Amino acid sequence: MAIHEKSLIEAERLLEHDSLVVDGVDVSGHWNTMITPRTIKDYDDDFEAKIQTYTGAENVHRCWQCGSCTNSCTMYAQNVQFNPRYWIYLTRLGLTEELIKDKDIIWQCVSCNKCTNICPKDVKPEGVMKALAHWMEEEGITEKSPSTIFDEEFTEQIYHYGRIEDSKVMKNFFKKSGQPLIQSWLIEFTKRMMKRLPVAHGFRMGMNVVFTPKTKSWGKTGEVLQAYVREQKEAAHG
Amino acid sequence: MSQDTVLVVGAGPSGLTAAANVAAAGYKAVMVEKEDVLGGAPIISGYAKLVPSGEWAKDAIGRMVTRVEDDANVTIHKEARVAKLEGEAGNFTATLSNGDTVNAGAVVLATGFTHFDSINKPEWGFGTFEDVLTTTQMEQMVTAGKIACPSDGRVPERVCILLCVGSRDRQIGREWCSKICCTVSANLAMEIKELSPETDVFIYYMDIRTYGLYEDKFYWKSQEEFKTKFVKARIAEVTASGDGRLLVKGEDTLVKRPIVIPFDIVVHAIGMDPNADNPEISQVFGVGLEKHGFIERAEHYTNTCGTTRKGIYSCGAAYGPETIDDSIAQGAAAAGRAIGDLHALVQKAS
Repeated sequence: MAIHEKSLIEAERLLEHDSLVVDGVDVSGHWNTMITPRTIKDYDDDFEAKIQTYTGAENVHRCWQCGSCTNSCTMYAQNVQFNPRYWIYLTRLGLTEELIKDKDIIWQCVSCNKCTNICPKDVKPEGVMKALAHWMEEEGITEKSPSTIFDEEFTEQIYHYGRIEDSKVMKNFFKKSGQPLIQSWLIEFTKRMMKRLPVAHGFRMGMNVVFTPKTKSWGKTGEVLQAYVREQKEAAHG
Repeated sequence: MSQDTVLVVGAGPSGLTAAANVAAAGYKAVMVEKEDVLGGAPIISGYAKLVPSGEWAKDAIGRMVTRVEDDANVTIHKEARVAKLEGEAGNFTATLSNGDTVNAGAVVLATGFTHFDSINKPEWGFGTFEDVLTTTQMEQMVTAGKIACPSDGRVPERVCILLCVGSRDRQIGREWCSKICCTVSANLAMEIKELSPETDVFIYYMDIRTYGLYEDKFYWKSQEEFKTKFVKARIAEVTASGDGRLLVKGEDTLVKRPIVIPFDIVVHAIGMDPNADNPEISQVFGVGLEKHGFIERAEHYTNTCGTTRKGIYSCGAAYGPETIDDSIAQGAAAAGRAIGDLHALVQKAS
């Protein structure tokens, strides 16, 4: 029999063969539709502790599911799929597959912190939303956000040169985030800057773009700095 | 005439308190206890640490037992029941099952409750699987000091406690909340974690009713300090997983999804039934039972601890599911009421 409510079933759970004959009976198409069960088979007991290592999510275990966060949420008013209470529950039980289904909206938290103010158990749901977004980014579940790409390029240059070269940061950021290198606002910006820029200064800038000198006596400072940052991250997230 | 004597039936927390208070006021108390030990359910069922005091049951209730045993004004009949009661308020004569007779001016029924028998919910696996236990059995394990699966002695990775077993269930005629199981279960979860830090404890609930001051001391503390996980699901069935574990099946109502989760031990948070002897008690003492089968309360506001029969009072879990603390308070109230009424009778006669 045809299943009329397919829209209510997640597409990946619907199994259907375009052509199938069983015992000489043609059951092609929707006649052979099967639905895989949606039973939850286990919890990930370590997941809550992992999310708690992110700043802001330390109190996630306090949640008792009253729903004040969702009720007060700015984003929930826009989209009822945006449900902090639900994601906190999934986090607590370690139902990561369910969380990943919402990867495209969890990051939409606008940090208005109405949830933080209203939460009777001081869970700080906003911090949990940020933690989940960061976890997904670190696990490669979601693509890196433009701001993360920018930060990485910025940090890379600091490690290497002890300073940043603006134009080089912009160029690499555009490249890595898939944006065109020449953008209308940038052309306008450069035009206006050139009008008043002393020639000698413009020359120095050009030289810096080409040769990119390091900060004086930078030496191994970058390596030391990089090692320190790595240590700190490991201490926080294991 | 025996207007200086109160017959106290049952030697649990409320009965022990009633007897001690009767004696302290200069009256005589006669206790009748059907078991061969005093202390009631906390002692007979081997409770671990009591809520909310955190004291071991054998110490706390033990003190109450010693207090009456050491009191010259308290007479104790163990392994005895009241077989017959004649007379009226101010002048009752009770015949005990051991042949003794007791003359008393008033009777306090501190007859308590009976633990729900989990056999009556066979779908939850008690009696079928060795690793399905009741809260009282789990408390005995805590008292023994080691958390292990009864089937093979392994340390459980995961334990779950199912709330409302034998409570709030129309299907089996239990239309009441047993009041204290939520708090006891939260406390038990902490005790399990304390003895066995590698064990994760889950509590499956419909509602959490850790009322009053039990809220932060038990519910919040178990969640925040002992990492107990509370899952909103009424379990449908407990089955075997095939590899020595148990499968807990139900619907997680917050995720709106069916769940089948493996556990090593499943604990039933059993509720309080009316004392299984209540039909007999009702007949012997001529007191009414309310619709669930507990002792019926008289008009409450001016007839404290009253039953449907004059001169017979009640207290504690005989009236309905009750905590130990409140049973003690009611035991004291029943004693006060009984000797107050006896005093009034004497005054009237003189």
